[in-house]
Formats: sequence, structure tokens, C-alpha cells
Amino acid sequence: MIEIQDLTAWYGASTVLRGVNLRIDQGEILGLVGESGSGKSTLALALLGMTVGLERRGRIVMDGTDLESLDEPARAAWRGQRMAMVFQDPSVALNPLFTIGTHLIDVLRRRTPGLSRANARAAAEAALRAVEIADPALRLRAYPHELSGGMKQRVMIAMALAAAPDLLLADEPTTALDATIEAGIVRLLQQLRQEFHGSILFISHQLGLVAQLCDAVAVMYAGAVIERGPVDGVTTAPRHPYTQLLIACELEGDPGAPILSIPGDVPRPADHPPGCLFAARCPMAEAACDMPQTLRTVAPSWEVACWKA
Amino acid sequence: MLEGMIRFTTATAGWGAVTALHGVTLALAAGRVTGLVGESGSGKTTLLRAALGLVPLRAGTVTVGGTAVGALLTQDRRAFRARAQLLPQDAAGALSPRMIVRRLLAEPAAIHGRGQDRVAPLMAALGLAPELLDRYPHQLSGGQARRVAAVRALMLDPAILLADEPTAGLDVSVQGGLLTVLLERQRALGQTLVVCSHNLNVIRRISDDLVVMYVGEVVETGPAAALYAAPAHPYTAALLSTNPVLDPARRRMPIPLRGEVPSILHPPAGCRFHPRCFQAQPRCAVDPPALVAAEGRQVRCHYPLAGGSTSV
Repeated sequence: MIEIQDLTAWYGASTVLRGVNLRIDQGEILGLVGESGSGKSTLALALLGMTVGLERRGRIVMDGTDLESLDEPARAAWRGQRMAMVFQDPSVALNPLFTIGTHLIDVLRRRTPGLSRANARAAAEAALRAVEIADPALRLRAYPHELSGGMKQRVMIAMALAAAPDLLLADEPTTALDATIEAGIVRLLQQLRQEFHGSILFISHQLGLVAQLCDAVAVMYAGAVIERGPVDGVTTAPRHPYTQLLIACELEGDPGAPILSIPGDVPRPADHPPGCLFAARCPMAEAACDMPQTLRTVAPSWEVACWKA
Repeated sequence: MLEGMIRFTTATAGWGAVTALHGVTLALAAGRVTGLVGESGSGKTTLLRAALGLVPLRAGTVTVGGTAVGALLTQDRRAFRARAQLLPQDAAGALSPRMIVRRLLAEPAAIHGRGQDRVAPLMAALGLAPELLDRYPHQLSGGQARRVAAVRALMLDPAILLADEPTAGLDVSVQGGLLTVLLERQRALGQTLVVCSHNLNVIRRISDDLVVMYVGEVVETGPAAALYAAPAHPYTAALLSTNPVLDPARRRMPIPLRGEVPSILHPPAGCRFHPRCFQAQPRCAVDPPALVAAEGRQVRCHYPLAGGSTSV
């Protein structure tokens, strides 16, 4: 339902997204993993059309419309009604001057113009109840500083879902939270799938979390998607050498097994390797890896940007 | 080896209205790797800082090698600082912004009258290029700053190293390099290494012993493998169950906990974990459990989980 085609984002001579090709299916939870600087957050912002300071080229097709071809007012309408984003740090994503109720009612009235105050308030209470916040009527009157981090992130999710978006972008939504609170948010997202029929792009650097929550996973490296496939397949039998090494570095093995790392550095945005982006660090690299690698299908719904995979 | 033993006896520490450590009695074994886990506010960082005398105790004692830390600092502050090093969580913030890396690394050697022969091999082992020596801290990435701080902590060959979240903010592809160096030095020096981390895979892989903290108290401690295999405290079980695992065969359902981590300003009466505990009894709300030794581990719970008592 969303097709990102050859999306490139750059400033000056530096390239942040290098020809990203990625499909997000209807109702799917797609995990997007990669190390810092791999372009995960930039890709999410590009979907929203909000990459400040970057130029973009390529297509983002949603329901037959190329969002990249829209003018700003039209794009803003898509952003407000069809997409929603949950950010990493809920404590800076809520306005400290407004109550939780004001935040939620704002979203609801924007989504449904002409909604009465009473109906909006009832809908806001229901939205808080859906994210398992106790005493919703009381919490609507609370200011952000009166809530814990976990509760604030639940409010953010409630706000995002109140817009009934077709695509929910969640950028490391649990990274700022404690482990037991994180587990609660992941459980909540799993439950919300029952009522929420849109797609979710779940950005994380934690592969284990993605394995637990997502249907499919896309792996980014140096600004490109280098593998995309079903989550169980990719996490247990990865095909791209980078994905294989990344998973080996997770230290899930038994104590005493070797502790691995990937030698070398990620190409910087200003670097433009002629061939495979990972070749310089790849233990399997050969002369043929000097050719650019694009995603090719290796199994049903499974694509890898490596000729050897 | 006993000179590296760190022992807390009913140690309480805090500031203002905050009691960050509450009656902690704990021995961190010499020459072993101890993993320290718990959520924010559990007191992990305060525990590490108290072991070095950086946080004064309100009550109780902390000794290193049998001598009170206060006395060690009075006798010979410099010698103790060289012997016991802290790798702080905010590594970048611990590096003076006015000095280039070369000077940052020369300083500890000069203060302690040592040579700098360890610098080059440590930098190489940690994957730090020599040209970084001429950079200022703000010109380093977060991961590079953390590794520079690690060189500073390791270059004096400390008998004790307390590492506060050494891999936080490091990508998985580079965290292995730092852990390998930490473990290699630990083995070579017979060092007492204490690592606190949110990453339960890292802790499981490197730790001989495990200490689990909750709201200022130690709730369980013992051999890491035994605690991972069969936690006895319900909080240990819940915390370890949250670790998202890739291997479907090893994946367990996270044990859901009610509510939030309580504020350290208002710790619950009775057992501090009881409001969130999935098997709390009426007694737990009024009667604070003591840390009880049983079969190679210590557990602070009136009703420890069955698995924990039999598997050690």
C-alpha cells in the first residue's frame, strides 16, 4: 500500500538515503533496523515530507498518489490525516503548557471537523482507555509533567491512533523507557493490532524487539535498504552478510562463545563507494562486489542487495 | 586477590530527600566479573560511586580489600584512585572539553607517575585511529568518546574497574570490541570488574555474578548463569523476561508488571516491589523482607519462586 521507490536524500555532496526501495503492506508491522546513521529516522521523516535541510529525489506512492509530487498544503493534509508519528522521547513531544486532554482533542477535532466538545472529550477518554491508562477522565486534566515516561508514551500512541492513520510511524518508541515499561508498550502495540487496521513502521536498533513485534523487517546500512523479508526468516537465517554479522553481534549465544564485532567503519554520507556499500567490511567480498548491488528477490517476499545471497 | 573485594554493609546513601541506596549489604567478589542490573532509579550508579567514596554514606560501611574506603582515601588518595577506576556513564562529559585527546590521555599517566606505553595498544585494540589524538572531545562521536574514556580508565592497569553502562549508545557492531578489551584486561590483571548495563545479553555473556537492584535495594544476587536460568525473586524473573530475544526457541513471554517503577522519594511500604508483584501476598505490603542467603544466592522475598531455590 506504500511503495518507496529509489528515494535519495542529500545535502551538498553528502548522501543520507541512497536509492531506498521499500514496500509497506496494508496492515503490516514492518520493523526497520540499522545502526546509528544508517538513515532510519531520515526515511521516516521523508515519508512525512519533513526532512529539513535535505533535498529528495524519488517516489513515495500511497494509494496511487506520489506524495513527493504534491505541493506542501496537499502534503500537509496527508500528513495530518493519513499518517501519524510516535517519537523516541515522549517528554519533549508533548507541549508542557497544555493538558493531555487539549493534546488529544486537538487531534480529534482536526481529524473530524465539527466534532462537538462533549463528543471530543468522550472520544479522548476512550482513546486513553484503549492505551490502558487508568482514570482517563482524571488524566485528561493532567499536564505532561504529571505523568511518568511510560504513561506519556501511551498518550503519544493514543494521539497517533486518534488520527486513525493509515500509516503509523514509531521511531524508537521504547528506547527512552525502562525495560519493564518497554515490555508493556510492546504488549500494548501487539494488542492494538486487533482494532488498528493501518500499517506500522516500527523503527528500532533492537533486533530482538523487532522479532517479537513485527511481521517483516527491513535492514538499512549506510542509507540503503539491504535486506527485507519475513521477520522469522531474516532473524533466524539472514541472507545478507551484514545482517548475518549484525545478528551475530547481538551476543545471544551462551557465555564463553566469542564476542564479535564488525571491523571497519560505515561509509560516511560524503563517501560514495562505487559498488556494494558493505564490501569494505564484508568477509565474503570478491571482485564482483565492485558492482552496485540492488535488491533482488531470493524467496517469496524476501529481497536482498547482495549477488551472493 | 582479596584486595579487590568490595564489601557494602547496610550501606545507605542519598542526597536531600532522596535515599538512593537503602541498607545495601553486598560483597563484590575480587577477580570476578559482576553484572549489575536494575531499572533507572534502582541505585546502580550510586552503588558504583559509593564504592569509590564519590558518594558519602549516611549509614553503614563500604570497604575495599578490608579497609574502609574513607580511610583509604585519607591514607593515600592517589594510590586508591589509581587502583580503583570508574568508567562513567556520561563518558563524553567526563572528558575536559579544553584538552585534546593526547593531553587527556597524558594527564592520568603524569599524575600517577606512569609511562604512556599502554595508550597506543589500548587505542588500537579499541579501534581508535591515532589521528584522534589531536581531536577535542566535541570532535569525537559518542562511541569514540566512550572508548577514549575506556583507555583512560584502563591505562593505569587498575585492580578494580567499575563500568557504568559501558556499551550504552554504542552500536552492536562495535560494542563487541570494547567488551573484548574489558574482559581481556580483566583476565590479565585478575581485576575486579563491575559492569552495570541495561543490555541483558551483554550482562549474561560477560558476568560471573549478577546483582539485581530495585528502588535502592539489592533484591537478588548470585551466580549469573543460575539467576538467568532460574530467577528466585519475582522482579528478577520479570526483568530478565523482558529481554527481547531473536532465537524463537529461546523467546519467553515478558512477565507483565502492573504500574510503574515507584519514585525513590516515596518507596512503597513493606516489600518495595509488592505493588507490582504478580504473586504478592498481604504480608508483603507490611513486612519488608530481608536479604536471605540460600543455596549460593541471596534473595529478598518472602515467597521466592520455586525454580530459584533448587537450581543452583
